[in-house]
Amino acid sequence: MSKENKAFLSIKNLTIEYTSDGDVIHAVNDVSLELEKGKTLGLVGETGAGKTTIAKSILKILPEPPARITSGEIWFDGKELLNAHHDEMRHIRGKRIAMIFQDPMTALNPIMRVGKQIAEVIELHENVSRAKAEENAKKMLEMVGIPAARYREYPHQFSGGMKQRVVIAIALACSPDLLLADEPTTALDVTIQAQVLDMINDLKAKYNTSMIMITHDLGVVAEVCDNVAVVYAGEIVEYGTREQIFHSPSFPYTKGLFGSLPGLKSDVKRLSPIEGLPPDPSNLPKGCAFNPRCPHATDACRQGRIGLIDIGAGHLCRCCQIDSTQKEG
Amino acid sequence: MSTPLIEARHLKKYFDTPKGKLHAVDDVSFKIERGKTMGVVGESGCGKSTLGRTLIHLLESTDGEILFKGNDITHLNKKQTHEMNEKMQIVFQDPYSSLNPRQTVEETVKEPLMLSKRFNKAELREQTEQLMELVGIDRRLRLSYPHELDGGRRQRIGIARALALNPDFIVCDEPVSALDVSIQAQVLNLLQDLQEQRGLTYMFVTHDLSVVRHISDDICVMYLGQLVETSPSKEMFITPLHPYTKALLSAIPSTDLTQRRQRIRLKGEITSPIEPKPGCRFAARCPYAKEECNQPQMLEELMPNHFVSCCRAKELNEL
Repeated sequence: MSKENKAFLSIKNLTIEYTSDGDVIHAVNDVSLELEKGKTLGLVGETGAGKTTIAKSILKILPEPPARITSGEIWFDGKELLNAHHDEMRHIRGKRIAMIFQDPMTALNPIMRVGKQIAEVIELHENVSRAKAEENAKKMLEMVGIPAARYREYPHQFSGGMKQRVVIAIALACSPDLLLADEPTTALDVTIQAQVLDMINDLKAKYNTSMIMITHDLGVVAEVCDNVAVVYAGEIVEYGTREQIFHSPSFPYTKGLFGSLPGLKSDVKRLSPIEGLPPDPSNLPKGCAFNPRCPHATDACRQGRIGLIDIGAGHLCRCCQIDSTQKEG
Repeated sequence: MSTPLIEARHLKKYFDTPKGKLHAVDDVSFKIERGKTMGVVGESGCGKSTLGRTLIHLLESTDGEILFKGNDITHLNKKQTHEMNEKMQIVFQDPYSSLNPRQTVEETVKEPLMLSKRFNKAELREQTEQLMELVGIDRRLRLSYPHELDGGRRQRIGIARALALNPDFIVCDEPVSALDVSIQAQVLNLLQDLQEQRGLTYMFVTHDLSVVRHISDDICVMYLGQLVETSPSKEMFITPLHPYTKALLSAIPSTDLTQRRQRIRLKGEITSPIEPKPGCRFAARCPYAKEECNQPQMLEELMPNHFVSCCRAKELNEL
């Protein structure tokens, strides 16, 4: 098992299904990922692609049922998490792995003082007195740019940006080794988003925290991620360094994403959207999940499952037409 | 110069709150020419949606004038409002909550046609079908309910409904913000196609600056109810003059890895728009704020068609 130890976090062949009304929804299909210490991995994809489900499975906070992990392993710092005992997970959650939830409006307890919500995590995981926990919580508030004097206020007294920073403070309270950030800035305005991204980058540098950043905003990916995994219909369809993905996107869906973005410099009159809609996860198309929307699809794409192909220096792409699509640019 | 399709002069909209008057839109003036798109950008709570809604009489203005094809439409009686509603429409931000969950697609699109009392049964049917085709909704979906559709399709229905009575002017209030990138591009293309075919005039309200640059001819930047800068779209991105616009533009995460921009870090939070002090409302966060910024600011034309409301803009930009 020496191979596992190299990567700080390693997900192997993870498959997750949801059952609803007898239908089986294939949310995550055979996903394998690796993350090194201190690095940030971006998970990019559309609503319903399975990004959040992957993150939640690492913390084992998926609602089971309806969710069911049918196969796979998750190795974190030499320990397998999916078979870890309930009590063990309680020590890991919030302490070693923390999550920033997407919606700051619902992630906070509306009837608990903001400061107390931060102190709670510290009290639970660090062996400190209540007074010391409060003191540390106040430091966390200051660190995310909120005056400690507002410790005793309630979430409704805070603006959206401040609430999101409280959620971040809670996640960072015990300086976790791995941070799962689920769309941490999507609900925020750009100037506040910039403040939050700066803060996340500062903290990463300070504590050498590893991070998984879930987002659909390619600009955010460019700002904070080292590596990028593009997720489509529960599968990783492309994986590479930030430079590989941004400079030579290869999977047709990834290319489509870049074509759909109105640029700040380019002067295209019309955008080139990806035609059609994401597939129904309870009824995935045969072969490549993207084939019904793909301009390059051939019969080969509608056959069996397609594997990830290394198209150079660790840049992986799940496309059997890679030669022909590459030629057309 | 021809008469603009719609013009706002010193438009104000205040709301009463227990703490005092909330200045949602404060002394905003602009013109939109026929067939053009005016983008309105700003952060949440800056009054951009209120501005759009006041303009089309969904909200009663507090003060100022609204002109439509040169006619004053600021004060209308019920009947006149009804008539104006046909000419000015809105597409709402959230396609999940702006459609009646108990109405089928067909009923939703048909409703404005029915309310106009201009069509008989056969015409209604035909018109409804044409509208659905126009926005790219499949006929087989006509009996579906909103919850059965994805966000992109729902937004298409919102657009079909707004187009039903052939309006001249449409306020698009964050129409693509709730959609995924790939779907967002489909809807933006649809809006552009419709504009070309029908000569529509848009006011496009959004917080997404790359979308606004793509779709607009002119841009207004708002901050806490005030118009701080307005210029042709491209120019705003090349030579922003107001310190707030500069900070806003520098904050957009860029997908261009080769050019890392220097970000202007803003300190602090947006101040309260309730009974604000006179003077520049951005002064509290502005790195260049001075004594004179506490005086009321005027929009000044510093470059052709480029207006800025900042007493220090001239000096800071060396104009």
